[in-house]
Parts: sequence; structure tokens; C-alpha cells
Amino acid sequence: MTDARKSQAKKLSESELIERAKQGDAEAFEALYHLHKRRVYSLCLRMTANTAAAEDLTQEAFLQLFRKIATFRGESAFSTWLHRMAVNVVLMQLRKKGLPVVPLEDTIDTEEEAPKKELGALDPSLAGSIDRLQLLRAVEDLPPGYRSIFVLHDVEGYEHNEIAEIVGCSVGNSKSQLHKARLKLRELLKTSRAEKARKP
Amino acid sequence: MTCEEFERVLPEIEGAHSAEQESHLHSCSVCSELVDDLNAIALQARLLRDSENEEPAPGIWNSIEIALRQEGLIRDLTSAPYLVPARPRPRRLAWLIPAGALLLLTFGLVQHERPRSELTPQVPIASTNPEPTDAANSDDQQLLEVVSARSPAMRASYAASLRDVNSYIRDAEQSVKTDPNDVQAQQYLMSAYEQKSMLYQIALDRPLQQQ
Repeated sequence: MTDARKSQAKKLSESELIERAKQGDAEAFEALYHLHKRRVYSLCLRMTANTAAAEDLTQEAFLQLFRKIATFRGESAFSTWLHRMAVNVVLMQLRKKGLPVVPLEDTIDTEEEAPKKELGALDPSLAGSIDRLQLLRAVEDLPPGYRSIFVLHDVEGYEHNEIAEIVGCSVGNSKSQLHKARLKLRELLKTSRAEKARKP
Repeated sequence: MTCEEFERVLPEIEGAHSAEQESHLHSCSVCSELVDDLNAIALQARLLRDSENEEPAPGIWNSIEIALRQEGLIRDLTSAPYLVPARPRPRRLAWLIPAGALLLLTFGLVQHERPRSELTPQVPIASTNPEPTDAANSDDQQLLEVVSARSPAMRASYAASLRDVNSYIRDAEQSVKTDPNDVQAQQYLMSAYEQKSMLYQIALDRPLQQQ
């Protein structure tokens, strides 16, 4: 797409782009892609912690969206529709790989994965000292099941009843696993900070 | 309320704490610090969404576009009617169109009702073998003679189009021959035949020689 056409496409509203895309307009498709690619890619990246997988899933999410765009009636925001589709694409991929999307209650946690509730008494509080990069790295280290729930709730803002519907678990399970994910992150962040402090 | 009781209900707490829970937090530094840490994590996580600046590789859109074009979801309305027919078998000119139609039906293609813009090959393929088969060559020659008779100025253009589309067909046929299960190669081949058929139809539907 040339710069002039990109500029023209930007001036069109999203609903106009959607209507044009329904007619098969290539530039409309491309404009919609560029409008939403970061959000979709970030979601895929955080849920998979793998760049190559995130790119494949981003591509698949947009393809599924564009194949179904003729059915979009505008009852919900386009971004919401796209986002939900991306979440489903990622979760389907996790299931295909046999990775747990949501750990079952009181099962699966290995000794290594289970968050430790008792941390060193002298560990300082995390409040006010977590930076974005540290958290991103810690999220990457989360077991896949915990990571999915944490990303969906705390990062992407889905409610527990929505998560329960998307991943096929109970609301109680979603809450429980989110709590465990946060505990695990707390442990990872404190461990990382302690290791940094020990280095000369 | 004990620490155990508090930790048991903690996953269910969203928002404000009850009076009993608040009372426990005031009196227990361990639980208080735990809650502060978990809240800090949740807050920082929300900021992650607002600072999304990761971008996928530039090639992702190219892959999406190719797939959309192959599936016919992108209709390029500005492309020239570059058309490929099914390979016409009969020698007599009068059989060219129905022969092409028969071949297209055999491959389950929709013929001339499809908009021309959908038939544009999106992946030009270079061929190392420029020579068409004898049958196809003869039919193409007959077509060019018809075009010459009707509109001499267009002969060169149709000749070039036929050369390119025949090359496309040969490459697509080779791909299918190499891997008969390659769905994409089959689609290319079908598209190639369809385009040649449309090229023939356009050539033969042209009005009489223009002055």
C-alpha cells in the first residue's frame, strides 16, 4: 500500500473499512490489519511466550476474521470481535499441543509449578518496584495454564465469567487459578530480584 | 480471622474487603504484604495492555494477503482481464468455447459468470520451458488468426498474453505433477485454465474488425 493510499485509508472510519473489506477491497483489509495487529500480536505473544508461534497465530486470527467479515453485523465492537477470535485461536492451538489451557483444581501442579506461599520473611514488598520488563519475563516463565488465565484477566481485562465461557471451566476455577498465577508471579519476581541483588 | 482463613477466601475477593478481612490485614503484616504484592502485580499487568508496542514481522500481512487472494476474498478491481482457459482440445475453431467449457466443468470450475477480476493470477511463475504442446499451439494459432481478422492491432497483445498464460499453465501442471496432493498447486492450475478460457472467450466475443 502506497503512503498516499495509507493516508487515505486512515481517513476512513473503521466501519467504512469494514464495509469495503466485505466488498473485497484489498486496501481496506490491509488498513484493518494495521489498525489491530499490535493488539492481536501482543495477546498471542503473551499467551504463548513464543515469537514464532505468536506470529503464526496472529496470521491465523486475522485470516479467520477476514473469512467471516461478511457476517459481522456491528452488534459488538469490531475490536472485541477480533480479540475474542484471537483468544480462541490461541487456546485452540494450546489444546492441540496438549498444553493445559486451565489447570484443573488441585491437580496437575507439580512441585516445581506450585506457587510457594511462604517466602523469605525478609523479602521486601514488590509494591512500587515491579517494572514492565520484569513482569513480562516472569509471565513468560509461568506454566501455560496459569499464563492463559493471568493474561486473559489481568492483562486483557476479561471477567471471570467470560474466561469460564471461553476456556470451558467454572468461574470458581478461573478465580482460583488466577490467584495461583499471581502467587507464582510473586515468587518469580522476588526470586529474580534476590538473584540480581546477589550479583556483584 | 486466621491467616489460613484469609488466604482461603483471598481468591474470591474482588475489590473491597469485608470488615473482618480488613481487620486481619491491619493486624497481620504477612497477609498485608501479600495483598499489596498481588495488587501491584495486577496493576502492572493492566499497564502491559496499555503499552502494547510489539509488532509482528512485516511479512505477516503479505502471507495474509496471499491467502485472501487465493480464497477469492480480495477482488482486485483494477487488474486487467488476464485470462486463462482450460486447454482447448478440438482443432476446429467452433469447438473452442464448448471444449473449454467442458474442461472447466470437468475441473468443477465456474466459467464465465465469475467476475474477471477474480481470475487474475496472483503469483506469476516463471517458466523454463517456453514451448507449448502441439495441440495447444495449434489452437492458440487459430485464435490469433481470428483476432488478427477481427482486430489486427490486438494480435501482439493476445500473443503475449497467451505466451504468459501457457507458461503459467505449464508451471502449475508441473507443480501438480510433482505433488498431486498439493492443494495450492491444484488451485493455481485451476485458476490458470480458467484464465485461458476467459482469454479465449474475450477474444472470440470481440466485435468485428475496428476501423
